Amino acid sequence: MNGPSYKVTVARDLEDLIPVFMTNRRKELDTLRVALAAADFEQLRQLGHRMKGVGNSYGFNHVSTLGKYIEEGARSGDRASLEARIGEYADYLAKVQIQYE
Amino acid sequence: MSAPDFRVLVVDDDPDMQTLLASIIAGEGLRAETAASGDAALSQVLASPPDLILLDVVLPGIDGFEVCERLKQDAATAMVPIVLVTGLGDSASRVRGIRAGADDFLSKPVQREELIARVHTLRRLHDMRRELEARRLAAEVARKEALRSAFSRYISPRLVERIMEDLARDGTPFARAPQRSGVVALFADLRGFTRLTERMPVDAVVALLNDYFAVLTEAAYRHDGTIFSMAGDNLLVGFNAPFAQPDAAARAWRAAHDMARAVRPVLDRWTGQGGVPTGVGFGLAAGDAIIGNIGSPHYMHYTIIGDAVNVAARLVELAGPGELLVAGSALGGAGDGAKRARPRGKLELRGRGEPVDVYSFPL
Repeated sequence: MNGPSYKVTVARDLEDLIPVFMTNRRKELDTLRVALAAADFEQLRQLGHRMKGVGNSYGFNHVSTLGKYIEEGARSGDRASLEARIGEYADYLAKVQIQYE
Repeated sequence: MSAPDFRVLVVDDDPDMQTLLASIIAGEGLRAETAASGDAALSQVLASPPDLILLDVVLPGIDGFEVCERLKQDAATAMVPIVLVTGLGDSASRVRGIRAGADDFLSKPVQREELIARVHTLRRLHDMRRELEARRLAAEVARKEALRSAFSRYISPRLVERIMEDLARDGTPFARAPQRSGVVALFADLRGFTRLTERMPVDAVVALLNDYFAVLTEAAYRHDGTIFSMAGDNLLVGFNAPFAQPDAAARAWRAAHDMARAVRPVLDRWTGQGGVPTGVGFGLAAGDAIIGNIGSPHYMHYTIIGDAVNVAARLVELAGPGELLVAGSALGGAGDGAKRARPRGKLELRGRGEPVDVYSFPL
């Protein structure tokens, strides 16, 4: 487990928003997998772009980083890279630990 | 504007971004509203313009650039500040945003402190602009009021209104061509004025005249008459001109009576001061006249010209102190008072071919 990078600190006043945020990320992961299976690179690009914008805004920097890679991978049609990043995203969502302060 | 009254519209199709931005805005004590598409944003803004818009660029349907362009082209919404919130980091997108009229940019991912700082800066600017606009409007109202007040000392208040309306509409007062209309002309003229001026210092005469015209104009305005001329001790008041008054003759009749009653104490005072008995004579006639600007481009006089004015002018010359001479054309205005009329017969009036039926009333 990549301990330090999977720990996220979120502002206390956003605590109420995080459950919905995490639910949406898991739905997003499912959609990414479906899009990859269908080789729908345009949808993958859009999803990556969205992850890039929303992740950091909530304090989940790694979501933004993965989103950036997914957007780039979709642009270049790099299926192997996309598969790896989506796998990494699944691992991250399963293990991420959230602290509030 | 208090903080909760400051409305921020958050436009983003991503529910997480929308919720986050709205939550931060609300956390600052401001009112957050949301829209999930360009079309929804346009409808909401046109229905009730917010004080600030946080606008995502990539939206389903109309994108953020186009929403921004449309709002900035509409006079009703052009002043609403728009912050484009974009994950598009290239300079071409920024240039496009600037061309669309965006007031500021915010990059995704959104940095909370940056968002708060920008919102508060734009809020301060917005408040300042509103305050300046309110001051400008107040100054404009005060200027118009000062103009109206100054004008009202020289011409009838209703004419002032007409001038202000004409100025607002055409940029020129009384731009319309002179019009022909039935009018009722009432003249008032002071008897003994020339002798009075011989006996009193000029400044005292001016003070007396001011008293005299004050009561006469007040009576004229009370019956919605329009003062067209004030020369020496002579006053011309028109009715049904320039504003329609179906009961113009009755108004003129009542105005003459009010004038006669109100001027009495002033005249008594003059008699006491100057030792010369004075009184006011009145002439009243009805008929067609031309109403409008008469004169040259350098000097205009808004007045009434026509037979009714000429007849009333001649009658006031013939009227004795406290007497109202009425042409037959205006007798209807007397109503039941006509019973008190003393017929003076058909009089030949100077400069007029046909004699005129004249009636005398003691006032």
